Amino acid sequence: MKRYSVRALVASAVGILILSACGGGEPAPSAFPGMLVDGRSGYLADNIYVYKFDVQTALQDWQFPTAVDNANPRGPFSGVPVKFGDVIVVGGSSGVNGAYDKHVYGLSDQSGQEVWRFTPPGNAGREFVAGVVTDGKLIYAPNGDGNLYAIDPAQIENGQPKVVWTFTTGNRLWGRPLLAGGKLYQGALDHKLYAIDAATGKELWRFDKASAPIAAQPAIADGVLYFGAFDSNFYAVNAGDGSLKWKTPVDGWIWTDATLSNGAAYFGDVHGKLYALDMATGKIQWTYETRDSIKAQPVISGSTLYVVSVDTNVYAFDLNNIRKDAAGKVDYNNTKWRNETLARRLVSTPVVVGDTLLVPIFDGDIKVWALDANTGARKYQFPLPPPATATPAK
Amino acid sequence: MGNIFDILVVNPMTNVLLLIYDVLFHNYVLAIIVLTIIIRLATLPLTLKQQVSSLKMAAMQPQIKAIQEKYKNDPQKLSEEMRKVGFNPLGGCLPLLIQFPILIGLYNAILRTLAVTPISLLELGKHIYGFLPNLSSLVPVNSTFLGVLDLGQPDKLFIIPILVIATTYFSTKLTTPPSTDATSKQTNQMMSMMMPVMFGFFMLSAPAGLGVYWIVSNLIGIGQYYLMKPRLDLAKAEHAAAAAGNALPTSVSTPAKPKAKLPPPRSKVKPSSSARVAKPGSDNK
Repeated sequence: MKRYSVRALVASAVGILILSACGGGEPAPSAFPGMLVDGRSGYLADNIYVYKFDVQTALQDWQFPTAVDNANPRGPFSGVPVKFGDVIVVGGSSGVNGAYDKHVYGLSDQSGQEVWRFTPPGNAGREFVAGVVTDGKLIYAPNGDGNLYAIDPAQIENGQPKVVWTFTTGNRLWGRPLLAGGKLYQGALDHKLYAIDAATGKELWRFDKASAPIAAQPAIADGVLYFGAFDSNFYAVNAGDGSLKWKTPVDGWIWTDATLSNGAAYFGDVHGKLYALDMATGKIQWTYETRDSIKAQPVISGSTLYVVSVDTNVYAFDLNNIRKDAAGKVDYNNTKWRNETLARRLVSTPVVVGDTLLVPIFDGDIKVWALDANTGARKYQFPLPPPATATPAK
Repeated sequence: MGNIFDILVVNPMTNVLLLIYDVLFHNYVLAIIVLTIIIRLATLPLTLKQQVSSLKMAAMQPQIKAIQEKYKNDPQKLSEEMRKVGFNPLGGCLPLLIQFPILIGLYNAILRTLAVTPISLLELGKHIYGFLPNLSSLVPVNSTFLGVLDLGQPDKLFIIPILVIATTYFSTKLTTPPSTDATSKQTNQMMSMMMPVMFGFFMLSAPAGLGVYWIVSNLIGIGQYYLMKPRLDLAKAEHAAAAAGNALPTSVSTPAKPKAKLPPPRSKVKPSSSARVAKPGSDNK
């Protein structure tokens, strides 16, 4: 063999080794972490692991999987975990290189061990980005293949829950359905919102007035659905028949689930603008500009509204004391408090537990920051920092 | 810095790619092909300049080697002599440096518009121009090709990785200037084998859409090479002639072969500025 061929072979091997090394370790996160808090237990679906931890002590109970298994890769995980009896249900999401985990996992609340795993029939299906919802009997799992699967964990067939029905849309389902009054309201990337009978999977009506994807979970109040779309409109639609009540144009795509409170709908857009809209008329009451996209749902506790932004900051507003100008704009400094120290992108909905605000972190070694809900000061982090090692005296 | 690159390069390309996709019947492969052609044509003068410069450097190699040998103990004189013969090792780099961000931008625009992950879809939303109506309605782009290939996923049939390897091999082989120096020759041969393997390996886990871009880009590169070949051959002949002519006044023992291989008589060679630059005694100081 010629000398150059040997060199080329060695160089190729080194190149491939370097490329392989790039894929090792924890990959960059590609989907949005989701967190559920149930009593003292916090459940976090974050990148390639699902964690259970104590929200008061930040001590970890378990993680799934216990270690990365390259032969049987799982995750990334995203969406808010759901509790189904003593099983924690999470969905596998979409990875950075286009690969995806097309399973819904049922994990033991006690141990974190896999109890069952759902794979769409025929080994089809794609990513479960948004997590699932449940009415305690069935689990409704929206998939990237455009199907909403209703599965019954009480009926295990061939090691996985039986599919009760499948509802097919025209494109990816990257938002969670809303389950209310025996109906499911599912937005799809095919630009439509579907109302589906939760028992049978039959379509009741569809809303097709949006001109771009709908990835937000609708919110409902007094028979009206409220949701935003990528066509930069916020919609109010009658839940009974899908007729449009009003729509309000905003500056950018809306991917946040709206929060409804005291006659107002709160949501953000991809340009980082937070909106408060009158639920009756759709009129914008006030706006506030963060410095990057708002993806996470705003959260209200008492009279305080909490919003996290991709700009790495957490914002708190006193809803009883919103100081806006004549144009309805709230100045950047007119917040109750701001925490600008977390230094990581924030894309997931925080959870208020007592006087603590738990904020999932999108990337980095710290998975959750616990802040004082009244002041924004840091309280603790999950996982806890490693114990400081004593420096030997010289 | 990342933001500036986004604003100046990636964002315009992202929006143009979506516009082309809209015009071309929502066919994403066609959109990638058309945008790649537009960009390769726009950077054609730079490509040509870079290839001519590379050829010039390759033709001058024996002469340069001789000068380096003669003045190895006198760095100042060495640099003077090198300058005299028109040696500029960075001559071919500047056009390449300008092209590189454009290609990286196109790569990012494709990755962004494919929006295979939630985070990339969120990023896409931030960068779609609001003043261009209806672009948001194109999302998500139809990423299936011929009903078989999902451009947002790695190609499980390995057709794309194989085509990437083949086209990268031929493209590298054709566009690498011939070298008279044994070491450079070995390096070039090594590169022409290593690059395709590395890109092919990368494509095993990358979205197939990126592979389509890479294949199209390589094919255009190969096409450009054949279209520019007469001009490159002419430049090569001029540089070889100039290099051979240059060797005499320096009194350096130039290997006989390049001299014997002198291209067409000078009278037949159309004078060009690059040839004049390399000529000794000219104003190139």
